[in-house]
Amino acid sequence: MKERSKEDSSPRTFPRGDTLASGLAVAALALVAGFISLPILSLVVWTISEDSWRAMVSPVARDALFLSMRTTAISMFIIVLIGTPAAYVLARMNFRGKRLVDALVDIPAVLPPSAAGIALLLAFGRFGLVGRYFDAFGVTISFTTAAVVMAEIFVAAHFYVRQASIGFARVRRDVEEAAMVDGAGRFSVFTRVTIPLAFPALVAGAVTAWARALGEFGGTVIFAGSFRGITQTIPLAIFAEFQGDIDAAVALSVLVLGFAFVVILAVRYLTARSTQYQE
Amino acid sequence: MSAIVLVGLTGCRHGSNNSGSGGGDKEQGGTLTILAASSLIDAFGELGKTFEKQNEGVEVKQSFESSSTLLTQIQQGASADVFASAAQEEMNTAVKDGLVAGKPEVFVKNCEIIMVPNDNPADITEFRDVADPGVKLALAQKDVPAADYAIEILGKANAQYGSDFKEDVLSNVVSREADVRASVNRVVVGDADATFGYKSDYTIDIRDRVKVISIPPDLNIIATYPIAALKDAEDPELAKKWVELVTSKEGQRVLKKLNFEPAA
Repeated sequence: MKERSKEDSSPRTFPRGDTLASGLAVAALALVAGFISLPILSLVVWTISEDSWRAMVSPVARDALFLSMRTTAISMFIIVLIGTPAAYVLARMNFRGKRLVDALVDIPAVLPPSAAGIALLLAFGRFGLVGRYFDAFGVTISFTTAAVVMAEIFVAAHFYVRQASIGFARVRRDVEEAAMVDGAGRFSVFTRVTIPLAFPALVAGAVTAWARALGEFGGTVIFAGSFRGITQTIPLAIFAEFQGDIDAAVALSVLVLGFAFVVILAVRYLTARSTQYQE
Repeated sequence: MSAIVLVGLTGCRHGSNNSGSGGGDKEQGGTLTILAASSLIDAFGELGKTFEKQNEGVEVKQSFESSSTLLTQIQQGASADVFASAAQEEMNTAVKDGLVAGKPEVFVKNCEIIMVPNDNPADITEFRDVADPGVKLALAQKDVPAADYAIEILGKANAQYGSDFKEDVLSNVVSREADVRASVNRVVVGDADATFGYKSDYTIDIRDRVKVISIPPDLNIIATYPIAALKDAEDPELAKKWVELVTSKEGQRVLKKLNFEPAA
């Protein structure tokens, strides 16, 4: 392969190499699919063979599931509400220090969540940089559900803001400007033209962010602590159960798997319908 | 936290004793893997260095977590040479499951204390104050020996302080932590008003940030720490040597220095 010149890379000239390459690619995909499905299958097999379904309806599991649903819903509401205009500014406006802000938005994506937890603790904990002033007013954040939501937003917001800003950047300015020429105000252009055009990107970003929030562990366990019904989300409950009752840990994992699956399917279905509607 | 300390320990090793195997007679090196209750982190850290000095070329690897987590890991087939538990229960289960070689030996004892931040925001001056409404109490999670002992203490205290005492204290719990050191750290950073820990958890590092409230002796428990070589030990000889070091005069001296009570 190496002697062949770079310019001459039309696929037709190397039929043999091509089949080999595509064969390898298919094998690679099979490897990826197998590597993902095997552990998932193992969870289900264990649950069936050990008959640990009961653990799914235990009070610990129920509290953890409800808490995860509640906190991720609140987190997503805040992320979308604040992240959408923020992403638009990042996509459309130029200002001093934009590069810095851009890089800052990416930090939580590369920062290990446990480091994020320590950082949040040092900022908002009782003796934290900001937390001490809250404490003076009788407001404590650590060990509350609010701390869970903060940890989730901290680690997940990036995924929505980044994808949304890429989506907004792809909306052509002349389309927006044409609407404005037709007499629409800036805000109504944003809500009626820009957002619908960027909608698939917004949904994709929201789903990724939600998944990240649902899986949040390190930040929550360090910043919010772990207490049933208050701060013990599903990932924390799995970790806690693993120390004692492995059947319950497996059952919780299957539960969150099912929950995530339902949400992803629902979003796929709804976005497919809404894009059809647009066209 | 344990991982960080572990890295620190192995990091220290390098400069000090890789002096080559010039004079080593029959020692051929190897690795000794120890799973120990998280309250042993300082004591075993120090003894690990002693062991490596005594056994040229041997590397001591240690993992510190709650005894219940370690038991789960051993049951799931973690390969290790020695298990040191902070309670008999975990060791008994390991023995029952046929995971232990020989008979476990009790090598040290411990008792519990209450720790509060230095500025003591909840104004806890004696043991019974932990039941006061509004105290933010951190506790290790269910099945962790330190938490089980705390529950045992509260049960005994009911007889003295009234039958609601235990319930009042437990309703103050704001977080259940992975192990005893994690719950102590909640007090060190000042987010929790109090926690139950072992006497030996009141280490030099935290003395300027934490105050001790003692638990009346008649209510306190005596935690007994058993140690044993594991059946799947890669190097049973080294495992035996470690148990010997821990129970030796030198081992007991280090443990005593770190606030543990002698076993005998």
